[in-house]
Amino acid sequence: MTGRMKTETMNRPPRVLRVDLTQGRLWDQEYPEQQWRGLLGGAGLGARIIYDEVPPETGWDHPENRLVMATGPFAGTPLWGTGGLTVVTRGAMTGGAASTQANGFFGTNLKSTGYDAIIIQGASPDWVYLHIGPRGAALRDASHLRGRDTWQVQQDLEEELCRRGRQLSVFSSGPAGENRVRFAAIQGDYGHVASKNGVGAVMGAKKLKAVAISRGDVPVSVHDGPGLERLAGVISHGVRNDPGTGYIYQLGTLPVVRNLVKLGALPIRNYTTNLWPEDVPGEIWEGQALRDSMAHRGHQCSACGMHHCHMSVIASGPNAGKIVDEPEYEGWSGCGWTIGCTDPQEAAWLNDRVDRACVDVNEFGWLTGWAMECHEKGLLTREQLGGIDLKWGDARAAEKLLDMIVRREGFGDVLAEGVKRAAEHIGGEALGCAVYTMKGAVPRGHDHRGRWEEMLDTALGSTGSLESGAMVAPHELGLPPRINPYDPAEVPRVVAGMLGRRHFEDSLGSCIFTTRAPLDTLCQALNAITGWDYTAGEALRFGRRTACLFRAFNVRSGIGPELDYPSKRYGSTPVDGPGKGLAIGEHWDAMVAAWYELAGFDPRSGYPLPELLRSVGLNAEAEEIWG
Amino acid sequence: MSDDTLSKGGTPQETGRLRVVVEMDSWVSSLAGATGPLEFTETLPPGASIRQALEKISSRHPRLARALWDQRGSGGLGPNLEVIVNDAVLGVRRELDSPLRENDRIILTGQYVGG
Ligand code: SF4
Repeated sequence: MTGRMKTETMNRPPRVLRVDLTQGRLWDQEYPEQQWRGLLGGAGLGARIIYDEVPPETGWDHPENRLVMATGPFAGTPLWGTGGLTVVTRGAMTGGAASTQANGFFGTNLKSTGYDAIIIQGASPDWVYLHIGPRGAALRDASHLRGRDTWQVQQDLEEELCRRGRQLSVFSSGPAGENRVRFAAIQGDYGHVASKNGVGAVMGAKKLKAVAISRGDVPVSVHDGPGLERLAGVISHGVRNDPGTGYIYQLGTLPVVRNLVKLGALPIRNYTTNLWPEDVPGEIWEGQALRDSMAHRGHQCSACGMHHCHMSVIASGPNAGKIVDEPEYEGWSGCGWTIGCTDPQEAAWLNDRVDRACVDVNEFGWLTGWAMECHEKGLLTREQLGGIDLKWGDARAAEKLLDMIVRREGFGDVLAEGVKRAAEHIGGEALGCAVYTMKGAVPRGHDHRGRWEEMLDTALGSTGSLESGAMVAPHELGLPPRINPYDPAEVPRVVAGMLGRRHFEDSLGSCIFTTRAPLDTLCQALNAITGWDYTAGEALRFGRRTACLFRAFNVRSGIGPELDYPSKRYGSTPVDGPGKGLAIGEHWDAMVAAWYELAGFDPRSGYPLPELLRSVGLNAEAEEIWG
Repeated sequence: MSDDTLSKGGTPQETGRLRVVVEMDSWVSSLAGATGPLEFTETLPPGASIRQALEKISSRHPRLARALWDQRGSGGLGPNLEVIVNDAVLGVRRELDSPLRENDRIILTGQYVGG
């Protein structure tokens, strides 16, 4: 059960910890440097692993599915926000690729034990947790952790391993993962969540309760230390002072609520309106006001100087005095606006419950908002809901619903499958009220009817969430600095043009908020760490290669262009607000066709075209797919 | 805030001027040296365009100007801020060079960057 650990001082070869839970076996896999240059870590490594090792017939809950938890070259360096992890697997929501990120201390700690990634296969006969530390890696009995939520597991393991704070990083999937709630997440270090595409359900199916990493003593080797220090300063200075990122530096994603309502992109009551309620003072939802509404202290991730993550104390109501992780925008959305809850204290408490139970807050918001709307319309009865009177904005009722879902109790068993499957189960008018993609995923916590590029990206992307993401340094990719977000010609151009950049960032082992820098600068940092001569062009090729692998993985699993659609409600036309009457549905097919052409994918089969595959170095895959 | 803010005044016909309301959220107003959300009236020559209004406002605040305009010389807006005129994002019903009308409302907010 125990793996062998070696301590290297300089230039150690990239090393992955392989874990077979069925056999209880752990072993090291080293990679030649040249091969690693093409993988980097995170999304790049994950895409390669699932493409090579997870055949189409291996479902998300099959023991042979792989769960990749990887960091990247930036981890453990002085660059800001370099404690993150990327989780890649076949996800439970779409049945296709999942690639989702969380921050905290995981990456830094993993690196300090001499590893760059963990690849988990098999399924344990009994509940176990994986511990990695200075004296090796081992699987340990986790029977005492059953039923414990994510924060409790972290506290229990702090006691058991006699370490706390940044000395121990713990990621687990909570009761939701244990009960294979399809949209279970992986959460760690008190509030950091890899939430997309049911990665926690995969962890639960493997009977892996947690991964705990005690800080090790392997020094991080860097090719050019002074150069890296200088670049760390350049990047952090940019993030602090750039007009586009300065507010994230000061307040994280807190200002986004007030920002999005003006853009018609705040999802209010399950996409039924885009109008701010007259009885809710806008001032209490301003970013600074949200932070100041609760006593708080900083809770930043490894080596991060952003004034972003905080611990807060609920100020009023029945939960006053309880400590919660300050919600991200997604929490304010999923536990607030989407379900009609406009009291920040109530939303913050519900968000904390969601994190601890360990479900994706976006899916929870769409599911609960849908159930509230259906209840109002008489499509879901109180009896069906286990006696819960599920009214708009009632966070306590939503908390009860969460408990039902997490325990898969009564109708909670249906809801635990996510909003698409629950709506299909009810059918009729209820189906038309649900927000989801035809692939089975849900959007982030925005109203994408006011952000067409995000709807296109979410519905067409291969990872169960946004794949291209928001524009960063668009000039580098020949894209305009700004587009009209309702422009059916510009939207596919931007989404296709950005494809791959996010995969590169998600392979570095850093946070997307701290890598909002030109690709060229990120490559300089990568070169200072590795001694390579990476260029922006190679980074983009790398990103496109990763996108091709994810897409080919999905298409061969039966997830093709016929699923490139939003649900009826998701793709509907806003009835009020800034986007009133602007109908994405009228342009959808043309936008999809343009995206396929610009991205280099075949619109009939969905596969990347052979020219694209060859241009990113996937010659064998081009041969395999196209002959 | 603005040296052109009108505290009183007649109709546009009486003054020969055009007045529009400008709103900035907290983040944008901080680029103009203020704390918290900001709303003020801007006075412009009759027939002034949205571009002219934005140029006038940003000329008083270099940090706002840097955030608002494309720094690569395209003459258009940059990637950082979004401009909304009467509840519609620029480009939907009006362009940068469209004329303003009396009492139009210009909202400056941060460009969405993810979250
Ligand atoms: S920006 Fe926030 S999430 Fe990202 S590393 Fe820093 S504190 Fe963590």
